[in-house]
Order: sequence, then structure tokens, then C-alpha cells
Amino acid sequence: MQTLINNYMFVGAVIMFGIGFMILLLHNNLIKKIIGMNIMDTSIFLLFVSLGYIDGKEAPIIVGGVLHHNGYVNPIPTGLMLTGIVVAVSMTAFMLALTIKLYELYGTIELDEIQNIRGG
Amino acid sequence: MLQCLTLVTHNTASPNLVKLIPLVSIMLLMLSAFIMPLLKKKRHLFGLTGGALAILMVLSFVNVAYIYQNGGYYFDIGHFPAPFGISLRIGEIESLIALLFAIVDLMVTWYAYYSLEKEIKESRIAFFHTMNLLLLASLLGIVFTNDVFNGFVFLEVSTLAACGIIVVKDKKTNIKAGLKYLILSSLGSGLVLMGIAFIYSLSGHLSMDYIHEAMIANLDGKQNTILISVILFTVGLGIKGAMFPLHIWLPDAHASAPSPSSAILSALVIKAPVIFLIKVFYKVYGTQIIHETVILDLVLLFGVMGMIFGSLFARSQKELKRMIAYSSVAQMGYIFFAIGIGNTLGVVMAIYHIVAHALTKSSLFLAAGSFIEQTGFKHIEDFRGIGKEMPVTLGIFTVSGLSMIGIPVLPGFISKWNLAMASIQSDKLYLLIFLLISSLLNASYYFPIIINGYFGEENLDGKVFLSKSKPIKQLLPLIILTVLMVLVGFFSGSLIEFIERGVYTV
Repeated sequence: MQTLINNYMFVGAVIMFGIGFMILLLHNNLIKKIIGMNIMDTSIFLLFVSLGYIDGKEAPIIVGGVLHHNGYVNPIPTGLMLTGIVVAVSMTAFMLALTIKLYELYGTIELDEIQNIRGG
Repeated sequence: MLQCLTLVTHNTASPNLVKLIPLVSIMLLMLSAFIMPLLKKKRHLFGLTGGALAILMVLSFVNVAYIYQNGGYYFDIGHFPAPFGISLRIGEIESLIALLFAIVDLMVTWYAYYSLEKEIKESRIAFFHTMNLLLLASLLGIVFTNDVFNGFVFLEVSTLAACGIIVVKDKKTNIKAGLKYLILSSLGSGLVLMGIAFIYSLSGHLSMDYIHEAMIANLDGKQNTILISVILFTVGLGIKGAMFPLHIWLPDAHASAPSPSSAILSALVIKAPVIFLIKVFYKVYGTQIIHETVILDLVLLFGVMGMIFGSLFARSQKELKRMIAYSSVAQMGYIFFAIGIGNTLGVVMAIYHIVAHALTKSSLFLAAGSFIEQTGFKHIEDFRGIGKEMPVTLGIFTVSGLSMIGIPVLPGFISKWNLAMASIQSDKLYLLIFLLISSLLNASYYFPIIINGYFGEENLDGKVFLSKSKPIKQLLPLIILTVLMVLVGFFSGSLIEFIERGVYTV
């Protein structure tokens, strides 16, 4: 129990990841699936940023002279997650575009209904 | 690693220019991809793509020749050394795979010159080429990179581009298949990114060699975290690489895409994640850690299931392209089987089978595409007697099919033989049964097409000899692919030796 409380960021991120994962996997509505994907990605971003955070240190932005190198949090995970966010945004945009296309062709965004139309 | 670095830095004979090749090939493809939308005429589009791919092929060949003489090397992008910047690691395997990708993509583009506009709208051809080059660039990135996060970004680019070449044919089924692929693939990338987060929290590095050193240094008490992260990587990359129970997106996507896209998807796109998985196993975790976990047994189990069930599903298909797509699942099963055996020969054969399957499956898909294009049929039963109308194309299909079944000399046989050897080496004799069953199953769905195509009175009745055959210049890319495939079988000894030199096991 104590380990769970100590690593609360990990626990929170994994729970959120699980929620997003199940939404992405189990829901039939495409918009909900896309929301699930975004929840999943956000949980990973949170985890990564929290990995680079050091309690009591400043953000690595130089304002009025450089502190000692111990004075800043680790900027690398934050930088990585900027890339991750860009990737997730482009993925979301592409999925939304395809969803619109699918709606035009099938008239629905529920995957089970689309399976029933099949070939039509 | 350090030995390798010093070895490379002491080479004086014009090493610097050759070491630029990996970066230059990726840049070349990306630049050509973004020039593509500016061009209008079909001839210019294909000229630019073909030119870029031809240059890429020559460069890759030079790279292979250089590595054959001098061994692998590291390349730091922007001269930032490894723990801070991104580095590329190009060894025997990476250079060989790059050459393979370049050749296959060039041949597919050549084939597409004559047939693409019959399958997709005229206005979409530029889009197809942009996506094709972008896809190849990202696949090369996955193969070359020595940095896990960089690999993840390239994986995402490859997913989007691969989805692009599926939905380029504006049909209902394509959009559906593309979206299905995109959803499952984004699930996979989420898992991979989570895996990266776990190993970053363990090691504090992203460069594969540094992660490995850090992990070896503080291994105690971290077994559970390592197991979780390795499972996340395996499942995530398994979705993208069509590992058996996670393959459900593949048949729809590969069967509905236009034939050149199917060839690229089946030959290249599902291979790059597998190479990344091998790199994660043996470069990030290393032999020692990997053998302590159960992951290789799981991969072996999924591989065997893929070999058997992939073939069973393929047998029951009615459409030709769907059958070939399920056959891809079975063949990926072989590759995961080879990784799962877990000894050096297994990993070598995984790479060899990647080469063999890429050449075989691309020529199979292109041959199937020619049948469908010339006759207008889609179902297997309509292709009876096709051997009289299109003898050369069915000949190519036959040779490739025989390789899939595993007739001696052809590469399919070489990989099955060596996989059997590898199973014996690791004392898992019962695996031979699965190899045998899978080969028989392969024969049971390739032979009927070939036999009904060439023989049978009622099949050939009313068919005019050569009536639907394509001119030889259109068939040349298929013939080249088939010849290369046979050569890969003939010179398997030296090829395997070359792969063995660069294999990651320490």
C-alpha cells in the first residue's frame, strides 16, 4: 500500500491509461473511441512530465541569470512530450477526418451498425 | 559498443561521406515527398518517385558494400553525441533491410506506373506518391534509429502514411479498413509510449545502448517493472507487426487497398515494427534480461498460433487478395516463431525471413493484382484456367507460392530448414511438428490456385492463349522481384553469414 501511495503518479497514470484503453477498445461510437485515445495519450504525457519533475526546483527557463545546474527540473521529458502531443494531435485530426468520411458514406458512426450494413 | 565506436573512428578511407547515407536517404525521401503535391503530370510524378528510389537503392547498395568491408557504424545527428542527441546505428542488418526496402518499393512503383490509375482516381496519384515516399522514409527511420523515442515518432509517421495509402482508393471498405487500422495502431503506439515511459523511469536514458548499460547496472528488485515494460513493447509492436491474435486489422486493410499499396503494406510496413521489436529485445534489454522473463515463450506461442491459424483462415477465404493477406499473418507467425526460439540462429532467421517474405509477398500481391486488373474478378474460383490466358504472371505466382510452401532452394525452404535447426539447437523438438503442419497448410491453399490455373480440361475450355497477358515491360518488375527472391534462396549461405555478423546478441 505504501508503495502505491509513494508512486501515486504512476498509479494515477496507469488507471487513466486503463480507462482510455478500454474506451478505445470497447466503445462502438467512433467519437468516443477518439476521446478514449486522447485520454490514453494524456495519461502518458502526465506520467512522463512527472518523471522529470524534481520537488522544489524551477522550470528550466532562464530569467535573470542562470542558477546552478541543480536548480532546474529535468527538461527532457517535457520536451519529449511536446513531440508526443504533436503526434497525438495529428493522429486525432486524421481519425476525425476519416470519421467524417465514414459518416458521409455510411450515415452512422456506430461501428456495430456499420458492420451490419456490410457491403451495402 | 565502445569497441565498435573506436573501430569506426579509425577508418580513414572516405568514411564520412558513406556515413551520411542513412540521413541523406531519409532526407531525400522526405524532400521528394513534399515536392510531390506541386507536380501535375503523371510522368513527372513517377519520374521523381522513381528517381528518388533509384538513388536510394544505389546509396543503400554502397552502404551495404561499405559495411561488408568495414563493419557497422554510429551516426550522431547534428553532431550531438549519443546521450543528448539522437544517434543512428547502422550495422549489417539495418543496411541490408534498407536495401531491401528500396528495391521492393522501386519495383512496386514501377508496377504502379502502368496500373495505378485503373484502381484510384487520377487526382489521387500525387497523394499516393507523397504517402509512399513518406512511408518509406519513416520505415527507414525505424530501422536505423538507436533512440527509442525517435523510433516511436517514426512509428507514428509510418502509421499515418500507411493509413494514407489504404484510404487513397476512395471506397467504403477502404475508409472502414483504414479507420480500423488507425484505431488499433494508435492503441499499439499508446502501449509502446507507455513502455518507453517505464524504461525511462528505470534508466533515465532514451538511447538504446545507454538504457542497456543503466539497466544492467541496477537490475535488482526491478524485475516486475522490466516485465511490464517488455510486455507493453511486445503487445504494442505486435499490433503493428500483425502478431497473431492482434492481426485483426490486417486482412481488411491489405485486401481492400489498391494492389501496389497492398504489396508495400505486406512487404514493408509490417516488417519495420518487428525489426524495432528485435532491437528492443536485444539492444535495450539485452540477452540476459530477456532470457530471465517469460516474454520469448509468449512470442513463440503467438508465432506458432499465427503459423497455424493464419493458414487455416487463409484456406477458408474466397477472395484471392484476402487469402494472400491471411497468408501474411501466417508468415509473420514464422518471424515471431524465429524470434521466440531465442537463440542466435533464430534471430538471424527472423531477419532472413523478413528479406525472403518481403520479396515473395510483394511479387504475390502484384501478380494477384494483375489477375484482378486483367480479368475483373476477385474470387479464387474465377481464376480457373488463368494459366492459359496469363501464363507468365501465373508462373511468377507459382514460383512465389512454391517459396511460401517451402520447396528446396527457394528462400521459404531455407528459412523453414534453419528454423527447424534452431528449434533442435534449443531442445524444443516438438516445434518441428508445427513447422510441418504449417507447411502442409500452406501447400493446401497455394496449390489449388496453381493447379486449377494451369491444368484441367474444363478449366482451360474456351480460354484463349495469352489473351489477357500484359506486355513484357509491365511484367518486368514482377520478374525482377521473383529473380531476386530465387537469388536470395540460392545465395542464402553468404546472406545468412552477413546477417550473422551484425546480429545483436551479445
